[in-house]
Amino acid sequence: MVGSAFLRDRARIRAAIPAGVFALVALFGLGFQLHLPRAFPSDADYQAAVAAIAAEQAPGDVVLLHPWWTERARLFLPAPIPVVGYLGDTADDLVAHPRIWVLANEHLPYVPDADFRAHFLPDRTPLGTPRQFGPLTLTAYRNGRARTVRFSAVDALASAEVSVESPGSAAVPCPRTGDGFACRAGRMEPAWHEVLYQPVRCLFLLPPGGPPRIAVRFPDVPTGTLLLEAGITWEHAWKHDRSDVQLVLGSPTGILHLRLPQAHEGFVAGDAPMPTSGPVTLTVQADDPHEREVCIRLRVLGDPP
Amino acid sequence: MSRAPDRIDRRIALALGLVAFVVLWATEKAVGFVRDESVYFAAAEQFARWWALLFHQPSAALSDRVITQAFDFNHEHPMLMKSAFGLSNALFAQTLHWVRPATGFRLPAFAVAATIPALLHLWGSSLWGRRVGLFAALSFFVVPRQFFHAHLACFDMPVAAMWLGVVYLFWRAEEDLRLAPWTGLAFGLALATKHNAFFLPVVLAPFGVLATWRAGGPEARKLLLRMGQVAVAAAVYAALLLVVLGREGLVRTWAVLSPQTFGVLALVAALAALAWQIARTDRAAFVPLAPLVAMGLLGPVVFYVHWPWVWYHPVDRLAWYFDFHATHVHYAWTYFGEVLRAPPFPLTYVFIVTALTLPVSLLVPMTVGLVRTWLRNLGDLLPALARRFGRGGSTEWLLGVNALFSIVLISFPDVPHFGGVKHWLPSMPFLALLGAREVDRAVAALPGALGLPERRVNALAVGLGALLLLPGLTATAHVHPYGTSAYGELAGGIPGAASLGLQRQYWSNNVTGVLPWINANARPGERVWLHEVNGLSFRDYQRNGMLRVDVVPAGGPEDADLAAVQYHQEFREQEVLVWQAFGTAVPLTGLYLDETPQVIVYRRPTRR
Repeated sequence: MVGSAFLRDRARIRAAIPAGVFALVALFGLGFQLHLPRAFPSDADYQAAVAAIAAEQAPGDVVLLHPWWTERARLFLPAPIPVVGYLGDTADDLVAHPRIWVLANEHLPYVPDADFRAHFLPDRTPLGTPRQFGPLTLTAYRNGRARTVRFSAVDALASAEVSVESPGSAAVPCPRTGDGFACRAGRMEPAWHEVLYQPVRCLFLLPPGGPPRIAVRFPDVPTGTLLLEAGITWEHAWKHDRSDVQLVLGSPTGILHLRLPQAHEGFVAGDAPMPTSGPVTLTVQADDPHEREVCIRLRVLGDPP
Repeated sequence: MSRAPDRIDRRIALALGLVAFVVLWATEKAVGFVRDESVYFAAAEQFARWWALLFHQPSAALSDRVITQAFDFNHEHPMLMKSAFGLSNALFAQTLHWVRPATGFRLPAFAVAATIPALLHLWGSSLWGRRVGLFAALSFFVVPRQFFHAHLACFDMPVAAMWLGVVYLFWRAEEDLRLAPWTGLAFGLALATKHNAFFLPVVLAPFGVLATWRAGGPEARKLLLRMGQVAVAAAVYAALLLVVLGREGLVRTWAVLSPQTFGVLALVAALAALAWQIARTDRAAFVPLAPLVAMGLLGPVVFYVHWPWVWYHPVDRLAWYFDFHATHVHYAWTYFGEVLRAPPFPLTYVFIVTALTLPVSLLVPMTVGLVRTWLRNLGDLLPALARRFGRGGSTEWLLGVNALFSIVLISFPDVPHFGGVKHWLPSMPFLALLGAREVDRAVAALPGALGLPERRVNALAVGLGALLLLPGLTATAHVHPYGTSAYGELAGGIPGAASLGLQRQYWSNNVTGVLPWINANARPGERVWLHEVNGLSFRDYQRNGMLRVDVVPAGGPEDADLAAVQYHQEFREQEVLVWQAFGTAVPLTGLYLDETPQVIVYRRPTRR
């Protein structure tokens, strides 16, 4: 009697399972939709967070968004504070910034915390306790990867000389046009561009093509560590049938050679010591300049600030 | 059991279709013009002018030169829908002034899309009862991306409707000979809608042939085998010509009197003669073959006749048409943090994107339904599965194959993967049917499980059905009119998809989210760069009253005072170029869907 009732109950429960599962799934869907808006900060939350940053802002500060795509914050952050938010930004050393304000929203779905822990947190030390503004969390970090930037080519372009050098003939100087230089073939200017999703203000350079190379000479570069980073801008970087770009950096202590191979996305970087101040010359050459638009950051880094 | 729906279900289907049409129309105004749509608007207007010329000066209209002039624009796609868009616009917008121009173009798209819930109800109710038909019909348009695509004067939803219509008619015609010509006609209209329809014979021929074989006597089977031999001989003949003449030579030397024409005519004549013999000797065997015969005869005729562009140069232009789609460019597409730009694409892409974009409360019944269907189908081959899950049978196979065909086709790593879910929409109505059957099975078991009287089952069906439809309905309402950005709960909604590194949006229509701000804040005559919005769309926003007519389209940020940048991972450079041109990285406003940046607006700080 008891056994048959048990079997009957089991059969009834089994029969109800599909409808029960469907109902639970639907309730999950509804619950998700009801709960999700709680993860969205209000304008007032952003304004309060920005006010907190502004109150303690110091030169060299930067704001990093977490997750990287939460760029609505840009609407509220005033222009002088650089804002970093791009796919892959947790791996950015942010060397020019001794303090990083991380504006995070941990309430959003699938926040990439593992990536943040693995790539951002090493060498970064929290300064004080996190502050909460609605769903936003604001935490200041000391950037252990920061260095004093003693020289930045993009800022020193006014003092530079640019020319096109061809094998077996004299260098042809490139006249200035506005902030940059226009050569008969090729050009160079300071500009914002994207290298593998990262917005960068860099020396934007079009090599002349063939054996000639564009050369930029900085007459007086201070001591420290020369850091040369170069990348192809935008979608041209991934293309497979394009020329390599050759970069040669000549300094008082020697030569640094970098190659930007075809289909390489992101920066290629190299460094060299700069024990004495003096002139530095960077040359860039590509056999075929088609879609070889190069974004170059050349800096001299000193000690941690 | 007859496959014909009863009168009540026909009326319910009609009502569902009408409601769908009205809802699409009522919610259309907010939907932006996707990049291709404005091209189709322009093409449709041009075709409508040709129809007017045909009416007034037929001899001029029918000349090769005029036809080429009228139909050369956007000959990437056949013109059934574009003609309907153009004629509808000419009548309802230009002549009667009942609607704005965009609505005039879109009305035929609503009408065709509205046949989907109607057909789903007809089919579902015939197969498994009224509850299944109703749930399948209602569930189709509470999927945000499907609801969005149903608004567009494009071809993706129309071809999904046509595909469903052809397969449904084919299924009906297999027992009712009178429907065979309608199947052929529907197939022709499907071909005239979009090239997906060229795969329909691949899907349906095995069913027709197998049913004929089963129904036929020895004589019919012999004739059927002979038809197969003719088809093989034709394939060998075509291969031979291809080897001898080469691909280009085959097209170049194709004349009225040529081996190519002979081959086609011989194939058609031989197959038609053999089919005629089957019809005379074994009527029972001919019935399931008839829809295929009608498709073979009527489909190409309708396709050819509907498209004046191919009338004078059928070989060259059809070769170009097929070549264009066989070698379509690959647009960049973001998938789990990687921008896919070229094949091979991930094999699981289509399945994953489908799962991440459907409301989970519909995804689960669909998945269970699809799995059950294939277990039953395999039960036809494996007795162990048959004992556990039952046997499939031809209808179950037909549904199972059609539910997967487009999904599997697009899954091939070399097939272009852009466009969200739109390229495999023809699978979705079939998944809706299979999902609805699962929901009904679950409901039917409830009275016994809960100890309730059987008469309560309809109330339970309403309750569970409403509960399952509600998440999709709320998601659809929430994201409308930005359907290309929609993601389901498994993806974590729109913000979850952003964190997962999935495509944020596509096709540029989300710009409507910032047009009111531009209208309110643009200075008179200001130069506005609407990134990703082509010139035709810009014009359409202005002529439909969505964008002020005094603002001027700019070619890029360097040329603009206001810029609205669409967030695409592959277009990050475009936004950075705005920073460069405008000297600021601080936007003024934007469209942020559930916090995700979609369209970001910048203004040049001072006027030049």
